[in-house]
Amino acid sequence: MIDLYAITDDPGPPLPDVADLSMVASHGLAVVCAPVAPSDGRELTPEVLWRHEEVVEALMEDRDLLPVRFGTRVEDETAAARALGERHDELARALDRVRGAVELSVRVMGEQPEEAPIPDDVTSGADYLRAKVRSAAAHEEVVKAVHDPLNADARASRELGASAPGELLRAAYLVDRGRVSAFVDHVTLIQAAQPELRLLCTGPWPPYSFTEA
Amino acid sequence: MRDKFLHAPEDLDPFATERPRLDDALSRRVNADPERLERGLAQLVLTVVELLRQLMERQALRRIDGGGLSEDEIERLGRTFMELDKRMEQLRTEFGLDAEDLNLNLGPLGNLL
Repeated sequence: MIDLYAITDDPGPPLPDVADLSMVASHGLAVVCAPVAPSDGRELTPEVLWRHEEVVEALMEDRDLLPVRFGTRVEDETAAARALGERHDELARALDRVRGAVELSVRVMGEQPEEAPIPDDVTSGADYLRAKVRSAAAHEEVVKAVHDPLNADARASRELGASAPGELLRAAYLVDRGRVSAFVDHVTLIQAAQPELRLLCTGPWPPYSFTEA
Repeated sequence: MRDKFLHAPEDLDPFATERPRLDDALSRRVNADPERLERGLAQLVLTVVELLRQLMERQALRRIDGGGLSEDEIERLGRTFMELDKRMEQLRTEFGLDAEDLNLNLGPLGNLL
């Protein structure tokens, strides 16, 4: 079995010296893969995920790519070539969309992250709805103050659902490689203007959130 | 990981609540039994119910904003949504689903919820 890591252009720069990588090419596209390590059994741990991520990031340094979902395995290189051939046009278009760009992640926390948007002890229906109104309004304000201006700096963006208590925004931005530092400067400016919020910007990541249309 | 921080506040603790979710997701994935269709079906049904619940709730919030509801009506509406919310949470727990599982990627249309 082989693990698939990324879809890239063919030909491309030489492969980085990690994980015994090889390329299977088909009509201008290539899938980067490596034999499944024998130690790579069924144990699924954050460390295994990070190892996958490191390979994709090493590739990302000098080429455009579509990251392949962790755990995507095929029988052999013939099967990899077939998979690539079957979705060639779709993958080529998707690769074009992320060409020259990376993903940056932005998360925004409110002032009191320990406070759930809806307190657990609410028993009055009216209080419950008012708390909902307040949290919807807070989200809208953050969208206006943070998301809209950052979105203008990005080629594309996707708002991902908030996943932690007190989280007001969680979004991914597809940013041209040359504009990453300008984007980060913009985050810093927004943070300065909104001291009551806490902004976390991470990246550059492979364009995980932008591999589909 | 630290070299991935492009801009970070001094206090990162509030952002660190992610880990349990990752662990949950991993263990769930490993233990997932392909034979159990029940969970997949529950996920689909609950996704539709959750969509309707959110649409109705948004509608209710708009009506409150518009000022067209009496205190009694607001209280009754709120109670209904609160109960629904709790019930959904129970069902999610029962089937081992979290909020993000009740979302669908609609391709070019984005996410359902």
